[in-house]
Amino acid sequence: MQYGMIINLDRCVGCHACAVACRAEWEVPVEFARNWVHRLGPANTPHGLAATYYPGLCNHCTHPACVEVCPADTEMVTFKDAKSGKTKTMEVAATWKDPFNGTVQIDKKRCIGCGACVDACPYGARYVNPDLADDDSDGKADKCTYCMPRVEAGLQPACVQTCLAEARIFGDLDDPDSEVSKYVKKGAVGLTSKNVQIGPNSRYFGNKKDMALLMTQAPQEMPEANSRRAMLAGLIKPARHQAKSLALAGIAGTLLVKSIQEKEKE
Amino acid sequence: MAINLTRRNFLKTASIAAAGIPLSKVVAKAETGIAKAPLIPPGSFKDTKTVTGGICEMCFWRCQLVGKVRGDRLVKLEGNPKSIDNGQNLCARGNSGIKLVYDPDRLKYPMKNIGKRGAPKWQKISWDEALNICADKLQATIDKYGPKGIAVWYHGASSHYPNAYFDYLGVPNKYEPAFYQCRGQTAMAMMQTLGFVTNEDVDMPNSKAMLLVGCHIGENIHLSHVKNFLKGLENGSKVVVVDPRFSAAAAKAHIWVQIKPGTDTAFLLGLMNYMFDKGIYNKPFAEKYCLGLNRLKKHVAEWTIEKTATECDIPAKQIVEVAELLAKNAPNVSIHPGRHAAWYGNDFQRVRANACLTALLGAMDCPGGIVRIKRMSSGHVHWPEVDHKEDPEEMALAEYEEKYPFRPPGTPPELMRDTMISGKPYPIKSLIVWGTNSIKTMPRQERTEKALANMDFILVTDVTPTDITMWADILLPEASYLERYDHIEKGTQWNQGDKPQQFLSARMPLIDPMFERKDPVWMINELARRMGHGKDIPVKNQEEFVNHLLKETGLTIAKLRKLDGIYIQPGESPYLKKGEEPVFETDSGKIELYSEAMEDEDFPPLPTYTKTAEPPKGFARMIYGRSPVHTFNRTANNAWLVREIPENPLWINDESAKKMGLKDGDRVFLENQDGKKSVSSTVVKTTPGIRKDCVFIAHGFGTFNPAMTVGYHKGIDDNELNTKINREGETGISGMRINFVRVVKDGKVIDIPA
Repeated sequence: MQYGMIINLDRCVGCHACAVACRAEWEVPVEFARNWVHRLGPANTPHGLAATYYPGLCNHCTHPACVEVCPADTEMVTFKDAKSGKTKTMEVAATWKDPFNGTVQIDKKRCIGCGACVDACPYGARYVNPDLADDDSDGKADKCTYCMPRVEAGLQPACVQTCLAEARIFGDLDDPDSEVSKYVKKGAVGLTSKNVQIGPNSRYFGNKKDMALLMTQAPQEMPEANSRRAMLAGLIKPARHQAKSLALAGIAGTLLVKSIQEKEKE
Repeated sequence: MAINLTRRNFLKTASIAAAGIPLSKVVAKAETGIAKAPLIPPGSFKDTKTVTGGICEMCFWRCQLVGKVRGDRLVKLEGNPKSIDNGQNLCARGNSGIKLVYDPDRLKYPMKNIGKRGAPKWQKISWDEALNICADKLQATIDKYGPKGIAVWYHGASSHYPNAYFDYLGVPNKYEPAFYQCRGQTAMAMMQTLGFVTNEDVDMPNSKAMLLVGCHIGENIHLSHVKNFLKGLENGSKVVVVDPRFSAAAAKAHIWVQIKPGTDTAFLLGLMNYMFDKGIYNKPFAEKYCLGLNRLKKHVAEWTIEKTATECDIPAKQIVEVAELLAKNAPNVSIHPGRHAAWYGNDFQRVRANACLTALLGAMDCPGGIVRIKRMSSGHVHWPEVDHKEDPEEMALAEYEEKYPFRPPGTPPELMRDTMISGKPYPIKSLIVWGTNSIKTMPRQERTEKALANMDFILVTDVTPTDITMWADILLPEASYLERYDHIEKGTQWNQGDKPQQFLSARMPLIDPMFERKDPVWMINELARRMGHGKDIPVKNQEEFVNHLLKETGLTIAKLRKLDGIYIQPGESPYLKKGEEPVFETDSGKIELYSEAMEDEDFPPLPTYTKTAEPPKGFARMIYGRSPVHTFNRTANNAWLVREIPENPLWINDESAKKMGLKDGDRVFLENQDGKKSVSSTVVKTTPGIRKDCVFIAHGFGTFNPAMTVGYHKGIDDNELNTKINREGETGISGMRINFVRVVKDGKVIDIPA
């Protein structure tokens, strides 16, 4: 199963209700957004004058760039398929891709608020919410969850429910009979480019001119920070495991901090 | 390196240092010894109760909603699942209602202005003191000048009960921007021609073609109306949008007619002439039901395709294309009546032309056409009839001066304002402003300020500290639409092609008002008692008020509560049945293409085009319109909506912008033809989607009152640049799109090339 969302630009009128309903539902601070609408055009496209909208949200990518970079302690977590009841246990850091529904989620308790995942996302879908600060962090990474808590309670995602245009459709992209799959067959695509191919599962459908304008919003490069963060995350994880097991945390930590700080300066 | 590090903290330090969070901060936190857990929002559906009976008033379309309430706090608004109008949907504004309720800038207490009007200093006073002052001052005006010494400016559902009281007092001059700066002509010209007010009841879902003249659905978000438009598109209706600008609607249109501003009437006359010429209008309908068909035919004959194309600055073949499309699909065509019509001061004639085109196509009472939607009715509250020394109807300024015979309800605002300044034909010395920000609605602000300065007393009631509140002597804080009972909303299923149903809903509070905010029924009754009218009070409180309005329906607040806030019953299709004849309640009983009543009043009896002035060299016409997430200036302080669209970008033609050295995002001021410079600035948006002879900004920005901390000086107030108006003789409504602007950047004035 892979949850996905279709946004039909032929229907979208750019009313921004999705963005605001999301903000209300999840009390998203006004400086951030899990769900946004960028107004595009009027501008010339190869297919004629166009004006449309980029209603954006987390793409719950098939190959998420944000998951690997998480430096938080890993834990063995058992996931359960809501339908079949099957379980799967995986070692995950504070953010992961759910093996059953394909959504990318965050464990706020374990998130250290470092922002590595924020930097890694080419779509700008994540932010660190300082309102969620605790003793272990100055805030927590946050983003669209495809409203999984609502979906589990039998509700539609907040943005889908409020959409007056019925421009947003939520469902299982792995189910060939779902409405979202039908849109994919009709040509709904994610915001990808030559160098950004991480399998976005929020997809857009529309006429040629609107899609041409929308595609100007596709990220052209993976974020630069990505490689650095990934390296740091790779470095810190085994080091910490080792430190714990050897009870030599002090020394290992000192070395680690020093080496990282030096790297940061570079 | 800090000392006293535990192992746990040290590990944490290491990981956090890696993330670039200042070490000092982390250590300091850890040392507090208080374990903080993240406050993860649970979602609006967890541990909340659903309160029904809400009716939105973020705009005036009035969707039905429910509130999710946790404890005593409203956490989210959603469309009422029982609604057959908006369903579970709300627009951005509807969703943002809770930011209005909990806006820290909201008015909390009655206040007295101990500073100057326009530069107030506020002193918190008791309700008792505030109402005593209001009663004394209003009574003093009545004693000296009669009730005609009082003027009322109002807007919105909260003013209904107060207006009933002001009628009882005999106040003759009242004004509502909904008519005089918006849809007055749309209502009155349709009534004069077709014999009924069409509202925007046009059956777009079931149309085969739609014509939108200057009507930007999509930027103007009225929820079920937008649903109708989209359903039409989905059903394959061909859309024609006539607009100098590539609007949200134009972006979805099949034909975009990029018309020269101010020439819309010529375009409509050209369409009619082509249809007459080719004999492609709906002859059976027009010949049977219209008065003056031949006279109209002769009258429009001058509007050949070539002449129309030249006047409107559009391709001739486009006129043919549109005329053929509409004629081919008649009568199932939606000739949209429009909404805001106060454009050039020749607008009554334009709406008449629109009505005539509708009639020529027979696009009425049928699928796709103008439909007469059958809604339930509800009652009114009246105070007892009183014999006034001077008949308020005769004393109303327009009646008194025998002007503006086709005016909508109320007194033309600029006429009232002239009187407030001149004292002629009689003095107006007290002003009551109820729920409208007249600084942003009435053009020629300097005249408004002059009129305000001339008053003996000004009472303003509002929810937020809008610009006009700065001129109040007494300022009263009102409960918002989510905290009071008042409006009765009536309607049908949103798509007239679906099974006919009717609904009725009454506004009920979702939460209690905080601080000392009060509902208008309480305010007016307390005021009336102090003015010696206690014995005539018709309803004791807001609940009784609403139950009174509901009386004829057999419903009550209690019954509606049990029905989740909405009563639904079978309805009636608005389409004529086979053999059923349409009824036109005009003087002649026919559709009046030719209007004798207009001729009697010395106005053109057939829809007539008048040229509007051209922009002077270096200037472009300022056209204004709606922002999809704002309702005029009413939402200017809503943090969530301002987050979505913080200001009103200046749309300027990209080629002109290039010549001017302007690029996207440049910050600019505007200066108009009278040298009036905007107080605040906005950003430039260069686009091929607007003509060179005009620029566009959304209305309602550039709040002047610093007490509106979110909206203060965000964007440009289009209305402050409306220093010139063209008051139309038919209605007394002033056209405002006759103002011209140029750009000021870094203190330098930049001409806009033609």
